[in-house]
Order: sequence, then structure tokens, then C-alpha cells
Amino acid sequence: MIELKTIEKTYGSGDTATPVLKGISFRIQAGEYVALMGASGTGKSTLMNIVGCLDKPTGGQYQLDGADAVTLDDNALSHLRNQKIGFVFQQFHLLERTTALKNVMLPLIYSEPYPEDAEQRAEKVLTAVGLNDRMYYRPGELSGGQQQRVAIARALITNPQIILADEPTGNLDSKSGLEILAIFKRLHRDGHTIIIVTHDEEVAEHADRVIVLKDGKIEQDRRVAQPRDAEKEVDERIGREDAE
Amino acid sequence: MKLSRNLALSCEILAAQKLRTLLSVTGIVVGVGAVVLIVSAGRGAEKKILDRIRDMGTNLIVVNAGQTRIIAGRQRQIATVTTLKADDAEAIARQCPSVALAAPATSKKLATRYESENANTNVVGMTPEGFHVRNIAIASGRSFDPEENRAQRRVAILGPTVVENLFDGADPTGLRIRIGRVPFEVVGVMAPKGMDANGVDQDDLIIVPLGTAMRRLFNVTHIQTIYVQARSAELLNTGEKEIRELLRQRHRLRDKPDDFTIQNQATLVDTERETTRSMTFLIGSVAGISLMVGGIGILAVMLISVRERTGEIGLRRAVGARRSDIRTQFLLESGLLAAVGGLVGVLGGVGAALAVSMLGYWETVISWPAALIGFAFSVFVGIVFGIYPAIHAAALEPIEALRAE
Repeated sequence: MIELKTIEKTYGSGDTATPVLKGISFRIQAGEYVALMGASGTGKSTLMNIVGCLDKPTGGQYQLDGADAVTLDDNALSHLRNQKIGFVFQQFHLLERTTALKNVMLPLIYSEPYPEDAEQRAEKVLTAVGLNDRMYYRPGELSGGQQQRVAIARALITNPQIILADEPTGNLDSKSGLEILAIFKRLHRDGHTIIIVTHDEEVAEHADRVIVLKDGKIEQDRRVAQPRDAEKEVDERIGREDAE
Repeated sequence: MKLSRNLALSCEILAAQKLRTLLSVTGIVVGVGAVVLIVSAGRGAEKKILDRIRDMGTNLIVVNAGQTRIIAGRQRQIATVTTLKADDAEAIARQCPSVALAAPATSKKLATRYESENANTNVVGMTPEGFHVRNIAIASGRSFDPEENRAQRRVAILGPTVVENLFDGADPTGLRIRIGRVPFEVVGVMAPKGMDANGVDQDDLIIVPLGTAMRRLFNVTHIQTIYVQARSAELLNTGEKEIRELLRQRHRLRDKPDDFTIQNQATLVDTERETTRSMTFLIGSVAGISLMVGGIGILAVMLISVRERTGEIGLRRAVGARRSDIRTQFLLESGLLAAVGGLVGVLGGVGAALAVSMLGYWETVISWPAALIGFAFSVFVGIVFGIYPAIHAAALEPIEALRAE
């Protein structure tokens, strides 16, 4: 699915050249749930941008679902992002001036052919993230957790194989964060490949596999024996609150 | 098409920022509005002038004695020429096949008096056909007949301004006035004609029989003008040619230049139309330049918009927009802004033109071609000034754009 071989990324050139990634290699299979960890400045955001086809490496090879992402041109990469990757950002990146529904439909504007049932699809994914009663709200009228769920719905609308989330819980309180992680858990169970970039150990505990970066290299690549189950935790929490 | 899918969203985003959208298109609104208003005013002026030329008579050809020249907007005789005679008019009416009527006339400014009221007035000696040829209508009383003309009777028909000056607006029919020292009986009053294209009062005149004027008032044997009516509008130019040939022959000019000037209504209309059109075009173009300034307003707002919406651009790129999609989107938005401004400008210009007309300041004729061109030009300006911001937006790197917020 995702295969990186000795990926390098250097900013600038000559004397001012700053290497950020120094030979990263890993392979992520379809359906994996991976947490990409590292302190800030370790290159995890750069790596995520490369994996997400938003940026190109200065060296190495990257195969995404059989396509050579290093040699593709800008238009082809745009197409790849549209079809194969759903992004979820820390800052949500919603269009403030339009409704949740229109925000969710945005990626469809750029897919060809445009599905005739675009609106129904958007309603469906919004319902899937529990926002069936908030479709016509603008982002400003929604809570942070709800906004992030709109963003997830937007990532899902083109039915991509990979969900790439950059600190998705970074701007949320722990309860909303857990709810978001529960959605990721469910998506993972449904067969999506989930990659979460985070510096938060607790968030990483929900993944099956953790890749830790340090100084532009992989420091650790381990399986998580007993991943936490956010779905169950949310249920328990609701149960507790009901009991109180 | 992606374009139309995105259009609705663009509209929504622009509509959400009402004040800014309004401000950005103000220049375009004013520019297009000014173009429409000015061209409509120009068309109104043109109509007014053409109406006046038509008021002068139907299928009119005017023969003036001597060479005339337009000085300070008015036609003036440059030297007194005594070769044009009343007989020439008769000959034109008889011998030129394209001519229906020919009315000789001559005029002079003279002191007129009624009791203690004095006024200097243009006194025109004319044959009865002249009323018909020059579209002079009698409002009250009567005109004079050919018999009175032949007998050189002292009868006068007054213009409304003269009635105002000498009689304070009271009905003068049957009263006696003096023109110079000669007493005249007022037999009728003309219908008002208003000012001509040059602002000269066409109602400030007294018409008397030609013979009376030549013998008893001016003491001349020549005339100044022959008003000719052609048989149809198509025969104006032919008539002019026939008259020229006839007069050259009668005046025995051989290789000498004309001692008369002929103008016909058709060429007069063309000249006047051309003059007002070029004037309108000139002022309209100046207004058009203000549209360019309006374009700069759009440029500024679109640049701000690109900066402000950097995050949005990054996001759109992340979810699959190509550079060209971003470029098209911003071009479309600036075109849309300009189109809205152009539409409001057209409505405003038309509204202003109608208002000016209705309030009686200036007669306007709404120019829909000008409205259409103004609108099209504003959209063009919007797109041209939108090119730079659009290219700028498309050139943003997605990761940097995403990081911008």
C-alpha cells in the first residue's frame, strides 16, 4: 500500500542545506492503524506531507498503491490526493462561510466524474460521524469536536483507502478527542488504513503500530500488543455518566 | 463541470462578506453607471438637436446668398451679396423637378414698438409658402395670403417672445405695432418653437410679407435666403444639385465660385449627429477609464482575499484541486464581482438617466448598447485584474498554504 525507501528531504542547498529526513524506509499495509510519533522538529510533519503527496522528497522512492509518487507531476498528485487520501488536520481547516454539508462536499468538486448523488453521500458520511442534525450549521456554530467530525466526514467523502490525520486531537479536550479516536477505530475496523501523526503517547496507544522518529530517522517501529479501544472507552464513559 | 460546481460556493463565500464585496465593486458600479448615464445624456442631446433640425421644415433645402461660414456655432454670411433675388426662388420652384416649394426670405434686426414698449426683433420678410416649408404653425389669428404679399400689405405675425416683450403675453391680434417707423397690423401669433441647437430663441421674430419687408422696411431688391422643400427626403441631394446648376446658370457664374451656399437637411442631420456622437464618445471614454480604476479596486480586494484565504487554498489543494482549478476559481470570483458591479452600475446608470429625464434637467435616451458594452467591459476588466491574484493563488505551495493559518 505505502512503501517508502530511504526517503530524504533536505531544505535549502549548499552551505545552508538542512536535512530533515535522513533515509526513512517503511511499509504500511492496507488496513493498518499506524501512529507516527516524534517530538516537534523531528520531521514527522514533513514525512506526513510526503506520505500525503503534498510534498516531494529530495531523495528515495515512494510507492503509493502501485504509483510512483516521486515522479508524478503536480496534476497527477492532486488526483491521487483526491482519490486515495483523506486528510484530517489539527486546525480542522473548514470553510467558515459555508455549511457543514458544503464543506464535506468540497473534495467532490475536484473529482471526475462528479457523482450525481453528491449531496446524499455527504449526508451519509455526516450521519456516520454523528452529525445528521448539524448538516446545515456553519463551522462557527459547532463545537471543536463537531468541527473535527465534519473534517473527518470530508476526508471520507471520496471513500479513500488512507486517512491521514495530523494531530487530530491536538485542539480538542480529552472527551472530544476520545470521540474522534473512536471514529478512527471504527473506520479502521471497516478496513481503512489510518495514519495518525501525533506527539501524544496516549493517542498513539490506540494504534496497532507505532513509528517513532528522531532527528530525521526512525528510532523505533513497534507493534502495540494491546491497542486501546476508543469505541469501548466512549461507551463506558457514557455508561458512567448515565449512572451518575 | 468543476467550474459551475465551484461557482455556487464562490457566490456563497463572496456573499458572506457583503461590505467588502460592495466596496470592491464600487469603482465598477460608478464607472459603468457613468458610461450609461453619459451616453444616454448624449443620445438625448442628439435627439434634441435632430428634432430641432426636423422642426426647421420637412425635406428642407436652404439656399443662402453668398458664402457662409460657421462662426461660433452659428451660420453667418461673410459678406453682403446682392445677387440672390426673389425671382430665383420662383425659377427654382418652376424649373427644378425635385422641388415642391420655394420660399424666398430676407431678414434684419429692427426696433419694434407697441405704445411705450420697445424691443429689437428679427424681422423676416417671407412669402406665404414659407410657413409651410419651415413648419411655422399659427397659434392664433391667421397667416397672410399671396394677395396680401403681392400688395405689400403691412400685416405682421409675431413670435411668442415678441408677444411677451411687447404685450406682456396679452393677445395682440388686431393691434397696431410699429416696425422701424412703419405701422403694421398684427394678424396672428406663431406657435412656440423653443431654442435651436445653438441656444438661439426661435420665437423672437416677426414675419411680414416679403414684398412689404423689401420695399417698406429694408429698401432692398435682393434677398438673403430661399427655403426650398424637396418632393421627398430621397430627393434632397438631387434637389440640391438641380438648384446649384440653375442658380449658377442664372447668375452667369461660368468658372467663378458659387455666390450662394446650399445646405440640405440630410447633410445637416449627418453633421450634427456626427458632432454629438464624437462628443458623447469622448466623454464616455473618459468614464470608461474610470472603469479601469474600478478594476484596481477588484485587484486590491482579490489580493487581500488570496492572502486571507491561504488556508482555504491549501485545503482545496490537499483535497485534490489542481493549480489550474485554483486559478480558475479566483478568476471566476473576480469576474463575478465585476459582473455584479457591472449589473448594479447598468441599473444605476439607467435609473439615473431616467431620473434626470423625469426631473426635467436633461432629456435622456437610454442606450442599451452602451449598457451592454459597459457591462461586458466591466466583466473583462474584472477578469484582467483578477489574473495576477489568481496566478498568485495558484502558485502557493499546498503545505505552506496549509501552515499559514
